[in-house]
Amino acid sequence: MRESTVMFLHYITAILIAVTGLIHLLANNEPTIGPLIKENPVVYMGNMAIFLAALLYHAFNGVRVILIELVPDPCWTKWISWAVVIIGIATYVVGLQVLLVALGLV
Amino acid sequence: MSTEAKEYTLPPEVLEETVKASEELWKPIKKVKFRIYKYNPKKDYAPHWEEYELEVSKGMTILDALLEIKGEKDHTLGMRYSCRMGLCGSCAMMINGKQMLACQTRVIEAAGDGDVIELRPLENFPVTRDLATDFTSFFEKHKAVKPWIIRDEEELDNPTGPYKQTIEEYAKYYQFTDCIKCGACLSACPTAATDYEYLGPQALAQAYRYLVDSRDNGLDERIAVVDVAHGCWRCHFAGSCSDVCPRGVDPAQGIQLLKGLIIRRKFGFKPHKPTEALPAKIAKKKEQ
Amino acid sequence: MEEAREEFVEYYAKNMGGVLGWFKARVYTIERWLYGAHRITGILIVLFMLPHFYSTGWHPGLWGDFILGIIVTFHIANGIRLILAELGFVVGKPLLVKKPSQRPLSLEGSQRYLVALALLLFIVLAVIWAYYALIVQAATW
Repeated sequence: MRESTVMFLHYITAILIAVTGLIHLLANNEPTIGPLIKENPVVYMGNMAIFLAALLYHAFNGVRVILIELVPDPCWTKWISWAVVIIGIATYVVGLQVLLVALGLV
Repeated sequence: MSTEAKEYTLPPEVLEETVKASEELWKPIKKVKFRIYKYNPKKDYAPHWEEYELEVSKGMTILDALLEIKGEKDHTLGMRYSCRMGLCGSCAMMINGKQMLACQTRVIEAAGDGDVIELRPLENFPVTRDLATDFTSFFEKHKAVKPWIIRDEEELDNPTGPYKQTIEEYAKYYQFTDCIKCGACLSACPTAATDYEYLGPQALAQAYRYLVDSRDNGLDERIAVVDVAHGCWRCHFAGSCSDVCPRGVDPAQGIQLLKGLIIRRKFGFKPHKPTEALPAKIAKKKEQ
Repeated sequence: MEEAREEFVEYYAKNMGGVLGWFKARVYTIERWLYGAHRITGILIVLFMLPHFYSTGWHPGLWGDFILGIIVTFHIANGIRLILAELGFVVGKPLLVKKPSQRPLSLEGSQRYLVALALLLFIVLAVIWAYYALIVQAATW
């Protein structure tokens, strides 16, 4: 993927996190709206899936940016990118599984 | 032809005033201590600081002071300078921790209320000796973004006429042509503090300068160089490069505009069609 | 002896700012402070995420929640500014005529207002969060 695509997605996910993160906060803490969101597993689960994906992308890309600025060797740059992609996808799968178990859907 | 020159003198009161102003400008008024970084990588284990005291006047620049120190106090002082008027970009250095041109900074202004001036070589550049730094990789990065007009080779070899530009097309890139490659921007850049592969504000601003030039035809070719892991996306808009630029080139603005251009290019936008040489245009119309 | 010399030469002759160079903001403009703060807050949020993921629903306590909220709101407010600026929207246009000592338009032009707006948004969000985390939430604890 080109660097511009990566960074453009970085900005898109930033906006997504702001929206879905607010819903996540409301669902867990707001006494009136919260239960309404939590009762509906499709809305809650869909929100969590998008939130988790966007958050992991944004966080791991941020870590990657900092790491490749710290270790600018071109060989390391490639390895860091691959390591971040693999760890990110693994975390997403585990996170989704934990969520499904917690909601009693699996 | 007579060779005798016509003698010209100022009116006496103007002359007196001028002489007075000049005397005031060069009269020593203050003692300033210069702390200078001394390091020779070929001989020394580690750098050390040396102090020199100098009587300075109101009009004295840091470069004047350095030349006086070199002439009278320490002839081993290593530095680089050439034009003494802020045009060549040889004498950029860290003056009290900030990148400036030595020839354009007055000692009195740099010292402010205090009387110590600390001089270091530019950060993020390898030291050659004392205040002189190695610009090899800096120039290589500049060369990497292809800082020339890209056209068909045939057209460049056999030019048929000049390319015409409107003032609006010229205004898009004029600001970035003022760059003197002094290296202050790369030295101030926080990304360059660790990332030696980063192209740097200077090279990226120059890339933007050629991308928006209406004569240029190398849009995708140049974007491929800039849009890489250590290219323009490692800029996080800390703004220090523009802050220290002695020529008002504003590289930070150039890089942000470059990023916007690359994103718009992804959605199929092209900033301009390359202009044609004028006579060829007329000739084509005549053929039709 | 020679090896020790080589190490010294490598460190001093390279003359790189290092990680501390990221945060050398004293002599520069406010954007440099915001850059450093954005990076630090980003790292802190990632560090919070790890235990929050590990045992779902973990929270750093009442005051921890408050501090975390401040960190996140700063990252959001400054992030909005960065998205706008990095896509080339509020950095001004290149100049055709320059003054003798021209200050950069990307720092002194409309960017000044954007920085002020971002800081204002940060303060507003932080106050809302502080009210919520310290008063509303504390009542339910």
